[in-house]
Amino acid sequence: MMIPKTSFYFALSALFTICVESSAETVKERLAATPYHLVYEKYADNNWELFVSKADGTGERNLTNTPDQHELYPQVSPDGKRLCFVSDKGSGRNTVRSVYVMNMDGSDRKWVADEARQPCWTNNSNTILYLPQEYSKWNVVDYFTKGLVYYNVETGVKRRHPNSDKLHHLYNPSMSPDGKWIVSTVHAGMGFKHAILLIEAEGDGIHSLDIPGCRPTFSPNGKYVAWGPGDHEIAVGEIDWEANPPRVKKKWLSVKDKVNKVYHVDWSPNSAFLSISRGVKSDGDLSKPGTHQSACEIVGVYAKDWNLITVPLDQGPEIDLSKASADQFHQITQDGSSNKESDWFTSAQ
Amino acid sequence: MNHWQHIFVGLCGGMGLLALAGCGPSTSNEQTSGSTSASSGMMSFPVKTASGIEMIFLGGGTFTMGSDQESSDEGPAHKVTLSPFLIDQYEVTHEQFAKVQIPNPSHWQDDPRKPVEQLRWRDAKLYCNERSLLEGLTPCYDEAKEGWPCNYEANGYRLPSEAEWEFAARAGSKDRYPVGKRALNQSAWFGDNAGKRTHFVGTRRPNDWGIHDMYGNVSEWCQDAYEEEYYASSPEKNPRGPEDTAENNRRVMRGGSWKSSVDMCRVTFRQGQQTGDSDACFYTDFCGFRCVRSISEEDAKKLVSDTSSE
Repeated sequence: MMIPKTSFYFALSALFTICVESSAETVKERLAATPYHLVYEKYADNNWELFVSKADGTGERNLTNTPDQHELYPQVSPDGKRLCFVSDKGSGRNTVRSVYVMNMDGSDRKWVADEARQPCWTNNSNTILYLPQEYSKWNVVDYFTKGLVYYNVETGVKRRHPNSDKLHHLYNPSMSPDGKWIVSTVHAGMGFKHAILLIEAEGDGIHSLDIPGCRPTFSPNGKYVAWGPGDHEIAVGEIDWEANPPRVKKKWLSVKDKVNKVYHVDWSPNSAFLSISRGVKSDGDLSKPGTHQSACEIVGVYAKDWNLITVPLDQGPEIDLSKASADQFHQITQDGSSNKESDWFTSAQ
Repeated sequence: MNHWQHIFVGLCGGMGLLALAGCGPSTSNEQTSGSTSASSGMMSFPVKTASGIEMIFLGGGTFTMGSDQESSDEGPAHKVTLSPFLIDQYEVTHEQFAKVQIPNPSHWQDDPRKPVEQLRWRDAKLYCNERSLLEGLTPCYDEAKEGWPCNYEANGYRLPSEAEWEFAARAGSKDRYPVGKRALNQSAWFGDNAGKRTHFVGTRRPNDWGIHDMYGNVSEWCQDAYEEEYYASSPEKNPRGPEDTAENNRRVMRGGSWKSSVDMCRVTFRQGQQTGDSDACFYTDFCGFRCVRSISEEDAKKLVSDTSSE
């Protein structure tokens, strides 16, 4: 359903803190005026590395710089001090994926778990959650998971989610800012063909949000969820937390691209921008060491010509990237070297 | 009676029981072997593989593939000669998938005896390789190369060529419905009787060579790329489909499924299905498969005697 334009802009001004109001400024200029940075994975010199840049894409640098190890899927703690991520060792069917955590400057790197993937932070910045692999045997597919584990980075204590035995084939979890809910995709698990679920962080409640697609993530204020309804769209909807169970009220923003795939949406800390991975459909390039063959949006699959873009949220209910002018979004990376899985942060320093 | 005469008598008895019972995957270790089909003159017998999977040995031969009376892609009808091979007696199930510890993308996982579905083409090939490794065989698919090319000379499992699939489905018959159009209800789970879901494998009557669910339940991936005009240029001996190019990402799917009409369950019906290999999630919940393995008659008989002596 289309939202009246006046209501849309009223809602935006009421619900979001827009940092820069001048319409004359380009998206890049608006991003440059923020204190934000992005961390993301990139395939560089035959190796997966984590890179950071300012929000406008300037000042890009290799954060990990480990030619003998592959690092992917970075997630910054809410306080901006630490980073959790996955690291792949070995190749082909001998690959082992592990979860690590380190300080934002790359120091104090700690191993968390082997045969585990897709970590994210809880709201308190002391604990991460991750998804153990379904079996020890390697498989690149994202839903190859069973259970859910919390890891306290201060104490090193691991604790299974109270409903861990039932949680099967989840992928891309994300926690609500109040720490009460996890939102995650499930594929072919727990009786669902495919769904986006709300999972109680400390209970056994599981509710389908009844929205199609995958890879949901909460807005920093917890009022909204952004997700990918399909290969060529990123959507934002408001969550009705008063409903029982909570549900997504309506889709009020849609970013479409008829040509390219758009994936891996993440919110800027002020909820004014979305970062998105964008590129053509492919299924990898096995000539590149440390990569695998599957859909190119999957972690560990080389995505040729994929770059990161940022889209401001105050442009109306629908943005068609295939027709959008350069002042409607900003391309963060330029090299097309499999830039994916971006995460925003405000530097703690 | 010598060993093979014993086996032949056993097979006749076994097939008779199957025909009477009409359903149910065998759980017996009893092996029978050595039947020559009266209609086709071809040797066929059941075997059990090293990991306990029931397969049927088909001695190869010459048959007429396709039809001149159906859709344009099903013609021209043409002669095809195949080498011997083993084919799964049942579609690959959740139970078998779990055994090789790879992710199961299926929608209906409520019973381990149901066939896997929502499978991308590559998922099916990965299972073939894992099953080969589990049984100490050489995998057919090279996972280190783009597209995982198939080595037909390897002794491991692979997807059937389209010709192997149709040969097995016909079981020596020249009819549009080898099990009989009226008998389809007893031989297949399809749109008219499946209740919009998959069913336990082997719960419908097998075809004349003892193979279950060749029609309905889940549609089955073949190894061949799909091309509408392929039959016009298909080689006679062991055809393996048109050239596998990056531009053509459709593969042959055969047999119809739980959601298919009667018409789609005819033996020559061809479907060109997108592989789904570049999709993170593949929701097509009628795509399943079964495996084949190239083998000589002599080696197949060893499988029978190995299992019999256990």
